[in-house]
Amino acid sequence: MKLGKFLTAPEYRLMVVTYRDIFQSAALENSRFGEEYRKLSAVIRMDSKDIKKMGVTEGGTLVVKNSCGKVVVRVEKSAYDVPHQGVAYMPSSPWSNALVSADTGGTGVPKYKIIEVMVSDARGESITIIGV
Amino acid sequence: MVSCLNKNYYVCTGCALLCDDIEVEVSGDQITTIKTACRKGFSRIRGCIEPMPCIVNGKNVDINTAIKDAAKILKNADKPLIFGLGNSTSEAQKQAIKLAKRIDAFIDDTSSFCQGPTLEAILHGKIRTCTLDDVRNRADVIVYWGADPSNSHPRHLSRYSYFPRGEERQRGWEEDRTAIVIDVRKSHTAKICGDKFFQIPLHTDAFFIDALIDALSGKVPNMLFDYDIKNLLKLANILKKAQFGIIFEGFGIYNIEYMETMARLMGKLNEVSNFHLIPMVEHYNMRGFNQNLFEETGFLNRVKFKKCEKGFDVKYGVDYSIMEVLNTKKIDAALIIGSDPMSYLPRSAAEYLLEIPLVSVGPCENFTSRVAKVTIPSALSGVECGGSAVRMDGVKVRFEPIIKRARLSDEEILKRIIEAI
Repeated sequence: MKLGKFLTAPEYRLMVVTYRDIFQSAALENSRFGEEYRKLSAVIRMDSKDIKKMGVTEGGTLVVKNSCGKVVVRVEKSAYDVPHQGVAYMPSSPWSNALVSADTGGTGVPKYKIIEVMVSDARGESITIIGV
Repeated sequence: MVSCLNKNYYVCTGCALLCDDIEVEVSGDQITTIKTACRKGFSRIRGCIEPMPCIVNGKNVDINTAIKDAAKILKNADKPLIFGLGNSTSEAQKQAIKLAKRIDAFIDDTSSFCQGPTLEAILHGKIRTCTLDDVRNRADVIVYWGADPSNSHPRHLSRYSYFPRGEERQRGWEEDRTAIVIDVRKSHTAKICGDKFFQIPLHTDAFFIDALIDALSGKVPNMLFDYDIKNLLKLANILKKAQFGIIFEGFGIYNIEYMETMARLMGKLNEVSNFHLIPMVEHYNMRGFNQNLFEETGFLNRVKFKKCEKGFDVKYGVDYSIMEVLNTKKIDAALIIGSDPMSYLPRSAAEYLLEIPLVSVGPCENFTSRVAKVTIPSALSGVECGGSAVRMDGVKVRFEPIIKRARLSDEEILKRIIEAI
């Protein structure tokens, strides 16, 4: 039995920036409950150096959490050619919104676009199912 | 529907561009071919695979029963909320406002947590705007600020803002237009703009705007964050030389404080140049809702009606926004029309919707309808029912249905709910 199984996975602080994705939007029009929408939504795209530093496998799953919520999503290497260590990208979706604070600071506008999170290796845990 | 060269063209309700050049082929009540639409529009017109059921308390019912039960929930509520309507026709929106007045409801839409203040400034004439047709024909400097239309509004660049050879821009994007992206992220649109992508650090929009105002004023910019000043001066130079400039404002930069700063930038740009602003509205008729409510009450969202001797009082403000009424648990029932707050809102706020009776109206099942007490299927606007809507630039667009199916429109459902109350 591997000792690592009983150790807490190390956590790393990241800023998540949310964005729109046309393929995800098209999948949403087809079915919000479908595998394609989930696959295109429950994903975090990270700088390759951050992925290497965390020792996680591309295509594996990560726990992304903060005081507002927690989701398990798939990790992918970002396609951006500009390095962005410390910043990760998630498509706007119920998965990213689970991490957005309801506290609007009296404005009525949640801070959807930039979210501070802690990420850790989900060690094979499945992607969070939302809305079924 | 527009007829030209013996062809019929339809309007796509996939986003607030309301593209009016969609070709379709129909067989019976099925659409067999869709041409011209973008990937998102194609999916919208083709329809979803999970249509909204007609349900009360988890049991299939007929539409009359569902409407009757919906009316009962709303009538019995002390503080009902009506939310959504960005994917409904203007005619349906007017019925929703009528219903809100009838039942002393809160009424709000998604502009409450995105571009409300920008649209408010535009409707009050505080920010200079123009139409997308002006952009196509005249714009030489196009700024996408916190916006990525390649993903959010896929035909924006090709129909209106960058690639067309407009009346005064016959040499097109190759010579006559300069497209700029200002964003925290190198988006797909940024890639198209090449070396006119200005990447700014997170949380620095307001500082960046202040520094840009300095540069446009001929002052040495006061850089409060790490940024190459030469880049900023390069941007200011392009903006100053614009004959007809346009800023397309996306969700990426939006916050309340930013709006005031942006208004100052627009003021400065119009001292030294000629600039306009159009918000990148997402839902096809969000702006229509804002304009309809504005005409009725003087406010474009976040409203609460209360009947009184002289008719009705209108209360307005952040306390009546969807976020705050959920956070403070101020409502005791909700009618959601063509929207999915369980998906769009922060989960911790949306979860209050699980505690109150919900009525969900729309063409497709969504996360909110699955927790609703009553669900009512409605016709898909632009495909199964016609009506009118307001494009992101304020232009009114009328559209006809492509096919006829039995489902009632949002407008008809709302009329019948009003009759039943």
